[in-house]
Amino acid sequence: MSEKILEVKNLKTSFYTHLGEVQAVRGISFSLNKGEVMGIVGESGSGKSVTSLSIMKLLQYPGEIKSGDIFFKGEDIVNKKNKEMLNIRGNEIAMIFQDPMTSLNPVYTIGDQIMEVIIRHQGLSKKKAKEKAIDMLRLVGIPSPEERVSNYPYEFSGGMRQRAMAAIALSCEPDLLIADEPTTALDVTIQDQILKLMKDLKEKLDTSIILITHDLGVVADICTKIVVMYGGLVMEEGTSKDIFYNPKHPYTMGLLKSIPRLDLGEKKRLIPITGTPPDLIKPPKGCPFTARCPYAMKICSLHAPKYTKIDENHKAMCWLLHKQSPNMKMDTGVKRGIVNE
Amino acid sequence: MNKDKDAIIKVRNLKKYFPVKKGFLKRKVQYVKAVDDISFDIKKGETFGLVGESGCGKTTTGRTIIRLYDVTDGDVIFDGTNISNMKEKDLSSFRKRVQMIFQDPFASLNSRMTVGDIVGEPLDIHKLASGKERQERIYYLLKTVGLSKEHASRYPHEFSGGQRQRIGIARALAVDPDFIICDEPISALDVSIQAQVVNMLEDLQKELGLTYLFIAHDLSMVRHISDRIAVMYLGKIVEVAKSEELYKNPTHPYTKALLSAIPIPDPDVTHKRESVTLEGEVPSPINPPKGCTFRTRCKYAFETCKNKEPSMKNLGGDHTVACHLLDNKK
Repeated sequence: MSEKILEVKNLKTSFYTHLGEVQAVRGISFSLNKGEVMGIVGESGSGKSVTSLSIMKLLQYPGEIKSGDIFFKGEDIVNKKNKEMLNIRGNEIAMIFQDPMTSLNPVYTIGDQIMEVIIRHQGLSKKKAKEKAIDMLRLVGIPSPEERVSNYPYEFSGGMRQRAMAAIALSCEPDLLIADEPTTALDVTIQDQILKLMKDLKEKLDTSIILITHDLGVVADICTKIVVMYGGLVMEEGTSKDIFYNPKHPYTMGLLKSIPRLDLGEKKRLIPITGTPPDLIKPPKGCPFTARCPYAMKICSLHAPKYTKIDENHKAMCWLLHKQSPNMKMDTGVKRGIVNE
Repeated sequence: MNKDKDAIIKVRNLKKYFPVKKGFLKRKVQYVKAVDDISFDIKKGETFGLVGESGCGKTTTGRTIIRLYDVTDGDVIFDGTNISNMKEKDLSSFRKRVQMIFQDPFASLNSRMTVGDIVGEPLDIHKLASGKERQERIYYLLKTVGLSKEHASRYPHEFSGGQRQRIGIARALAVDPDFIICDEPISALDVSIQAQVVNMLEDLQKELGLTYLFIAHDLSMVRHISDRIAVMYLGKIVEVAKSEELYKNPTHPYTKALLSAIPIPDPDVTHKRESVTLEGEVPSPINPPKGCTFRTRCKYAFETCKNKEPSMKNLGGDHTVACHLLDNKK
């Protein structure tokens, strides 16, 4: 078995607002092996970004980790002090944020921002750090990096800024890269370039990646493992083939049904998931998806279901998978494209 | 031409340039050619999709057609009337028939107005209803978009993104328009909510006989909703075709690249397919490349592309493409 790089156990994160406690993440567990690419899928408010911020320990007041453990390379980082985290963040765990327009500092040059990480973590001299910064820009595919290194962020386009973000994140060769919706703000053509870049970098540097997105198309391409989140909980977890070809949770099925398929040449009416996500100040007692689930039963609103193991890597949280549940005919939403061998 | 008879809107050689001003005297030194000589027809009752990368001029096209921007050159003929040079005070009857749904539901609703007043404002402006009648109309509109009349007295901040977009749609429907410009109406919404809004737009079109101009960068959704699609690049239309035709038989290298960049939610398919990655980014519309504007990123570009701008050629069946490669093939 390969080495576990990250293990999250029963993580709960809440925000204590004046309206009450927002339970953004309500007890999630997953693990990531070295060199693996994991996708976290879910809609806004499902807790996927809060999960990543918890792992980075970048939660800001009023948010805090309520309970649970996060093991990074076997070490529990939940109780690490901020000083210790400074040596891990950017060095061993790095992050690419969603919005390349606001996550770079506008008053420093791109080069300065890459050099900052290198000098802080690798203790190189300024001159050496600059050389490395140029190398990094070249690695992420920025043309004429020698000149570009002294540009300010406003002189870069959206796609180039996201590349610069990747250069910062990868400059210390982290063991784990967390990419929080890295392509959401970008055009499809630039998205394609960034995803290719991430794939290349993974092969070159053997980095483990957590890719957070709401786009199932993006995870299908590069993830080996997918976690589907909803209402602060993991609804289903499995390999990408499990999730796309054998979904077991009605929410996963709903997601698959609500996206149009370009390659299948059919034009059917979309089947949306009705309703809206639950309010996490007062999360529902049972399964959070009950109110929107077409197959909901009485028990669903009363008790939260436990995980049912479908096989080694595949598990889902749904009462329908219980031994005593009625055998329902479900439209899984699976559409398989034709693959020419 | 017989085809023109049922066209609700005809756009001919439309241009929209924005001046770049410099210096103390604010002299106009250059122009951003946001929309540069485009022509198309939209037929009554159809959905016409407009796609392209950001900065290609698709939003400007929408806003110029509805006269939120003044036309630099060219004609926009709506139902037989040329509105491109009409004075603002004469436009009001046109504005009653053409409405717009905006991209960002968080920025396009006035946060100090109740939902009822937001939806009722077009009725006040065009003096269509007042008093009890106005109230009834607002309730009816809210019901049409799947909200209830209790929502009328609430403020926008009490609603989610999907619900806000519904309010925006109700406002657009208030004046009973014929033609609606949807400017990326779903790109700010969650996947599960997108399908709700798209289905609603389709239902409304059937019920009310609406014509849509659907602007988006999400090609899979555009193909789902549109009858015909135009692909824009750097202010120009490079390909127009029926949506099935465009996806089955994309002809312009840019269309091909755009299509292959879309991630497909199917692991086996996406691993097997060959993708054409488009290198680089869109050049500046201030100084667009001479000849074919796409040649700087096109891997098939040859000598002619540098010198001559390609013209639109009809491949039959409403499929038109602007590319020099077509001349080479025999």
